[in-house]
Amino acid sequence: MGRSSTASAGDPALRARFERDVLPMLPNLYSAALRLTRNPADAEDLVQEAYLRAYRGFGGFQEGTNLRAWMYRILTNTFINTYRKKQREPVTVQDDEIEDWYLYDKLGKSGVESSAESEVLDRIPDEEVQRALEALPEGFRMAVLLADVEGFSYKEIAEILDVPIGTVMSRLHRGRKALQKALWETVRERGLVTR
Amino acid sequence: MSHDDCQKVLEQVELYLDGELDGSLRAEIDRHLELCGPCMDHSEFQRHLKELLRAKCGCDQVPADLFERIRTALTEPAP
Repeated sequence: MGRSSTASAGDPALRARFERDVLPMLPNLYSAALRLTRNPADAEDLVQEAYLRAYRGFGGFQEGTNLRAWMYRILTNTFINTYRKKQREPVTVQDDEIEDWYLYDKLGKSGVESSAESEVLDRIPDEEVQRALEALPEGFRMAVLLADVEGFSYKEIAEILDVPIGTVMSRLHRGRKALQKALWETVRERGLVTR
Repeated sequence: MSHDDCQKVLEQVELYLDGELDGSLRAEIDRHLELCGPCMDHSEFQRHLKELLRAKCGCDQVPADLFERIRTALTEPAP
């Protein structure tokens, strides 16, 4: 047993602080883990493992620094190091041909009236939106998840994923375009537009 | 409103909605969107997409016993 884990497990104040500040993040972390692993059993294992790692490292965590970003960094690193090897990675998207405003334009061309586009989006079932996000290649998926679902800034995402901000921006832009294409396919398959 | 203005605004909308533009650029886009219906429609659509993801991809039901399992695991000695 390492010294830090002994200190963590044995320090009631530290444990209380961990329970107060880190455990309440569980619902969001679990959703993020589901989007990363794409199945509930692995998501539970991933979250549990991330929490244990975080707890062992919590003694060295500086109060006042970004706890939420720190926890997501542990979650994504645990995923990359442990669970990714088991996953079948989606094929790389050919996103060069996806235009900006892909979905907006497609909806417009299929007769959806201006300003009614958003209503079409609302009719897409939750699971289909989740599936579209989960189908993105990992780098894109993490960037979109952290920005749009979790609301992190570019700087925080760059720190969480340990990549330059330019890479965050490019993954977000490309990921969102690929997502729009996937959503459009769902809209068509489900007959949410008439033509 | 020139086509160039709109082009420039639409290129920046992603950064704008992500809250990543500095004050003056942000104010410039705010002003443009107030006056330009088509750009506003684009921007609102993109904003809605972001909200859709947040609403539908971040609220999964946590398994009932997971919280307790994690709490219990914290008391066990590290391997």
